[in-house]
Amino acid sequence: LRIGDGLKMSSQNLLQHGEKDWAAAKAHFENLKSTKPRPPKPKYAVTIAVSSRTLFDMVAERKIFEEEGLEKYVQHQQEHENEPLKPGPAFPFVKALMTVNERLRNLYPDSEELFDIVLMTNNHAQVGVRLMNSINHYDLTIERFCMTGGQSPIEYLKAYMTNLYLSKDSKKVQEAIEEGIAAAIMFKPDVVTQLSETQLRVAFDGDAVLFSDESEIIVKQHGLDTFFEHEKQYENKPLAQGPLKCFLEALGKLQKKFYAKNERLNCPIRTFLVTARSAASSGARVLKTLRSWGLEIDEALFLAGAPKGPLLLKIRPHIFFDDQMFHIEGAKEMGTIAAHVPYGIGQKYNKGKLIEPEKQQK
Amino acid sequence: MEDEKNHTGPLMIALQYNDLFDLDSISAMTASTNTDDAVPKDRAVTFIKAVQIVNERLVEQNKTESLLFEVILIAKECSEEIKMNIVESVKYYGLEIVKIFFCKKEELINTLQLNNVKLFLSTDKDDVYEVLHIGIPAAVLYEQSDDHVLNQLKVIFSGDVIGFSEDSLDSLSDFGFSETQIETFKEAKICMKEFAVLIGQMRRKFGQENSPLCICVLTAWGSTNVCASALKTLREWGLDVDEAFCLAGAPCSPILAVVKPHILWDGGLHNMRDLSAHS
Repeated sequence: LRIGDGLKMSSQNLLQHGEKDWAAAKAHFENLKSTKPRPPKPKYAVTIAVSSRTLFDMVAERKIFEEEGLEKYVQHQQEHENEPLKPGPAFPFVKALMTVNERLRNLYPDSEELFDIVLMTNNHAQVGVRLMNSINHYDLTIERFCMTGGQSPIEYLKAYMTNLYLSKDSKKVQEAIEEGIAAAIMFKPDVVTQLSETQLRVAFDGDAVLFSDESEIIVKQHGLDTFFEHEKQYENKPLAQGPLKCFLEALGKLQKKFYAKNERLNCPIRTFLVTARSAASSGARVLKTLRSWGLEIDEALFLAGAPKGPLLLKIRPHIFFDDQMFHIEGAKEMGTIAAHVPYGIGQKYNKGKLIEPEKQQK
Repeated sequence: MEDEKNHTGPLMIALQYNDLFDLDSISAMTASTNTDDAVPKDRAVTFIKAVQIVNERLVEQNKTESLLFEVILIAKECSEEIKMNIVESVKYYGLEIVKIFFCKKEELINTLQLNNVKLFLSTDKDDVYEVLHIGIPAAVLYEQSDDHVLNQLKVIFSGDVIGFSEDSLDSLSDFGFSETQIETFKEAKICMKEFAVLIGQMRRKFGQENSPLCICVLTAWGSTNVCASALKTLREWGLDVDEAFCLAGAPCSPILAVVKPHILWDGGLHNMRDLSAHS
């Protein structure tokens, strides 16, 4: 997997050209004396791209698209342009990102190291007006967007220097992961849970999310006992990185900024590892791997195979990343906002059994 | 919505010969007795081909369609030999160019006005601004970084120029934009409208999908409100937009590299001087 940071390197030309645009934008915003804060420079920011269906609830509209076609769908959106859409699964996550930004701006008023939220949608620009009106209605700080009018968003994700892409479309998410961009498919929970409004809480599964699926392959193909032996034997060999490792890294960089200002106890970002591994037999390798990467995780929870749902309910993350649909469904049922990472061997299995080839997701 | 005036007649686009043909190959020819023709440049050829595709699709729908693109070529200060070569090359490469005008440098504006040119395209941004300032629609013929011919003509409008209100445009003098530049932006908006109305009529003959024309709006540093305003304004002018980008100050080049437009309207608002240097 390519490291996400590689995307942020620019040639000399792009830098120079970017500087001119930047000076104009800075001057413009300052002169407007607007209460809205200026968006950060993409190369320093942690850019999160959200699709329209993850940011807003577009279930009814989607139905019109599927049953009546594109033209009717666009017409419907235009007719209801001034009616704001309801929040979608990524909405609480986006609000939490905004809270962190506020805190960061207070401590570091001139820094560009902030979250930047981009609306990345396949929709035609005609639908854009309703989306923008909805964004304004909720006072969301989303200044950048990309409406691809039906084109694949992958090249645009790179152009916008995306660190994390959230969508409801599994094909697009898979493509993004293949291109080295952290991405996940979001699911709306069945029950609404009260979430923190002062702290961004992000939970990650370990294998095939933060780490590669190398160990999971051993479990699936050789069973648990072999897995435990293997992990003990290779305790000191770091696991290879997984698709979400760079995102954890980006969160860690921002956390350190709070620690530097003595705000560790009051840090508005908290990260969790929620893994089916057991602490005693296979946990050490995970912690040692994180340490070798120079990454910290605030809480590491080893479940030794117990279901994740109840624990997640206690954690109440704004988003929980896992590679296995089994865990995603469990989380969703109990009210956790879950995001599926379609990566690794876990995609070929369902509840521990190998899925027949024709039923496998591509 | 703009009333459906009967805008029949061709949508004439003017190119300059030095944007279409490689000047070096022309001078090399005059030096030798070689009868090889001037080599056309990729950027211009992909544009002409894309325009041809739009015309073909329009005629498919209506054999007697009069609102078609017509491309004319303007050549300033040419020797008789070069004139011959240009005519031959146009024929040889099968480029659909309706007319070729040979004129002196000072006659450019006149030639454009007399022939009711609806759009002047050039890779030279100074030429573009000069023409815009007079009130003739002009835009940048954008670099296609590879010679892969898209089967779509892509046009980018500037969301900043269209979306900003008259007052905001005036306040630009506070940022060091000169009076001339501000006047050019205002002219650009008027010119964009003229062109938008015509191309809007063309665009409406095709559906959302599989259209040979793709209309994009790029808002380089206006806010989302500016972009929303641009989309609504274009809709009023009769032009439905396909793709929209709002950058809030982020660099434009990466996005342009993905969109690969043929025609880029910027009015000079966000200083896209280094565009051609980007390849």
